[in-house]
Amino acid sequence: MAGNKLNRRTVLKSAAAVGALSIAGCAENTSGNSSGVRIALNTDPTAEVWNTHGGITPYWTNVMEPLVWVNQEMDTEPWLATDWEQTSETTWEFAIREGVSFHNGDKLTADHVVYSFETLLSELAYAPGWLRLEGPESIVALDEYTVEFTTTEPFSVFPGNIAHNMVCIQHPDRNPDENRVIGTGPYQVDEVVVQQEVVTSSFDDYWNDAGQVDELVFEVIEDPNTRSLSLENDEIDIGMSPPRSQIDSLESNDGVEVARQETAGSCYGGFNLYDAPTDDPVLRRALNHAVDQQLIVDTILENVGSPARVPISPTIYWSAHDQVDPYEYDEDTASSLVEESAYGGEMITIVVPNDLVNGRDIAQVLLDDFTSVGVEAEIQMAERAQYSDLVRNGNGHLFLDTSGSNSGAADYVIYDSFHSDGDVNQRRYRNEETGVQNLGGEVDTLIEDGLQATESAVKEEKYVQAQERMKAQAVTLPVYYDEFVAAYQSGLEGVSFSPIPEFTSWTSLEK
Amino acid sequence: MWKYIVRRIISGLAVLLGVSVLTFSLTFFTPGDPARTILRKQMGGRSPSQAAIERFREANGLNDSIPVQYVNWVTDVMQGDLGASYHSETAVTTLIGQNLMPTVELAVAGLAVALVVAIPTGVISAVHKGGRLDYGSQVLALLGLSMPNFWLGYLLMLVFAVQLGVLPTHGFGTFGHLVLPAVTLGTGMAAVITRLLRSSMLEVLDEEYIQTARSKGLKERIVVYKHTLRNALIPVITIVGLQFGYLLNGAVIIEMVFQRPGLGSLLIDAIFARNYPVVQGLVLIVAVVFVVTNLLVDITYRYVDPRISLGGGGE
Repeated sequence: MAGNKLNRRTVLKSAAAVGALSIAGCAENTSGNSSGVRIALNTDPTAEVWNTHGGITPYWTNVMEPLVWVNQEMDTEPWLATDWEQTSETTWEFAIREGVSFHNGDKLTADHVVYSFETLLSELAYAPGWLRLEGPESIVALDEYTVEFTTTEPFSVFPGNIAHNMVCIQHPDRNPDENRVIGTGPYQVDEVVVQQEVVTSSFDDYWNDAGQVDELVFEVIEDPNTRSLSLENDEIDIGMSPPRSQIDSLESNDGVEVARQETAGSCYGGFNLYDAPTDDPVLRRALNHAVDQQLIVDTILENVGSPARVPISPTIYWSAHDQVDPYEYDEDTASSLVEESAYGGEMITIVVPNDLVNGRDIAQVLLDDFTSVGVEAEIQMAERAQYSDLVRNGNGHLFLDTSGSNSGAADYVIYDSFHSDGDVNQRRYRNEETGVQNLGGEVDTLIEDGLQATESAVKEEKYVQAQERMKAQAVTLPVYYDEFVAAYQSGLEGVSFSPIPEFTSWTSLEK
Repeated sequence: MWKYIVRRIISGLAVLLGVSVLTFSLTFFTPGDPARTILRKQMGGRSPSQAAIERFREANGLNDSIPVQYVNWVTDVMQGDLGASYHSETAVTTLIGQNLMPTVELAVAGLAVALVVAIPTGVISAVHKGGRLDYGSQVLALLGLSMPNFWLGYLLMLVFAVQLGVLPTHGFGTFGHLVLPAVTLGTGMAAVITRLLRSSMLEVLDEEYIQTARSKGLKERIVVYKHTLRNALIPVITIVGLQFGYLLNGAVIIEMVFQRPGLGSLLIDAIFARNYPVVQGLVLIVAVVFVVTNLLVDITYRYVDPRISLGGGGE
């Protein structure tokens, strides 16, 4: 027995050998799948908020599709609906595309559309207000391929509003508890690993151009540095939003390409037009001239994005970016305007939500620029819910935030922020007949006209006029237009992103 | 000893009650409307309508007074119901269940790495006090304490994933996915334990009974590992117990860097999303973990050193 007794040395040697073998075993398969494409998102595609969609995100995955699509110009285009018509002030008829198959083989009909909308309305507290639909009677199947929607109020942008991945069509057999997702998209779900990944494969019976890559795997890597290292290690093929500081080195890396896409988002400061000293348009113009947006883009944003002229991104076709001249950065002009204004040395409070990326840094540049033209300023960082209260109560002078559209109806971007009855201004407008960022009067009318316009040209004309008037009165201090960046292995072809990146289609992707 | 345990359990329940009151108060006294924040997040940054906010508040009992909400919550907790996430119908216990095992796995692995490194290093350092090995191990311990763990994580990824290609950068589910996070997590704790064990060993080595053991002619190995180490381990057990409590509560940074699910990430996400039922449920569980860990540490003392009496003598 003595010969078989384990001594310390033997145990240590065995432990070392087991450790080495384990690590060697791990060495297999640390890089990505060779036939499919692995896409690293910065949010969890299986997060619990997606239970209504069967347990996976309707963004990015191309598994579920809406009735209406948003194209590169941020305009709507037929998708699962081939046509739509406004039949009265509050009713819309949608013709559903024939010959579309769900991933379980069933054919798409109007009943599936009714089911999908009713599910959204019953499971998401905000859906009725968002979609302007209330109760089952607001969605009715007129025949096998026609659905009638009745909105709670006249809502001319209804088709654009439902051009959104969350308003997608699902089969009633979907089951969030089992992560059974049944859509009509070019990719179908093969496997869901909660909090990790969604594995999809190309759907052979897809009604449109099918995906060229057999398998797409969407995984979550929240940390941007880890996404970048995973790309270098060949564990993933596409990584969204790499760290800004690494974009240059990724672009110079032979094996990696970098895609850039201007989004429908922008960052700007909205002035409080009803409290001194920012109730003075001359001071607001001075502050616009005082800020060097290019410097912010070059330094803080590391060249991701571009200097803004208006609060609406130029990717939205009715942005007035091309129609207005910017307030050129000019300290002398700014200083003379400050002298000319009614400014009497008051402290200007710049309010910044603490979840705004680089918000404090940008606010610090604004503060320095204001100070250099003789205007005192301070920064107030606020948690998001507190920020919402501060801006709606007009507690502050300049409210810095981002804004953008994630649907085909970008109208809410201008309405919510600049119409007197919009979300930002409504509280003070109704209580005190003032507001925050709303000029009121003619601008309200132009925004209402733009909102009601069904023709793109008319909408553009009205909204551009509203933005021109807002620019003349320096209602905002535009900072930058947002840009989406993704890095991918150079062996991939057909990588291109939508202005709403989450709407990106992967069917043109090739490996 | 049983009397002592019962007494500790009762005081632990009082601690849990205090924690629950404090957590509940803090979450509800934070400025701003949680309903607006939650709905805005769900809507991808869009502003919810006032009607939607009202509907949400009504559905989740947010219109009740804070004391009523607290009593309702405590009543449910007493029945084993920690409530459901605001984002879905998912029960908080389910969410905790989904994230508990990855956290336990990482905590145990990190602790194992720490002990495997720290115990021999601490012993060698003490035995060779003032020598090269001692200085070397102290420098390593200082490095381990000073390095931010996210930085160490990236460094390990660069070396073992990108350069050597032997381990994955991120993920969960296999032994390979556990190695780098466990080493990252264990390094800081190893440094703490090494320094503590060294000083504790040095104290014990000066004790008279150690000199007696040596004078009796016992081998140095027996003196060090049997008589010294065992007695020097008592303060180490306290620290290991407390540190294990921290680890179980989630190594948030490591979970983020290596993209591992876990209680830490769940808690941080819930705090930012103002998902109160999840925050309250998790904080309660965290408090339970600390209370239980401390109790276990105290009981372990008794087994390591029979001279220690639990409950004020008589045992």
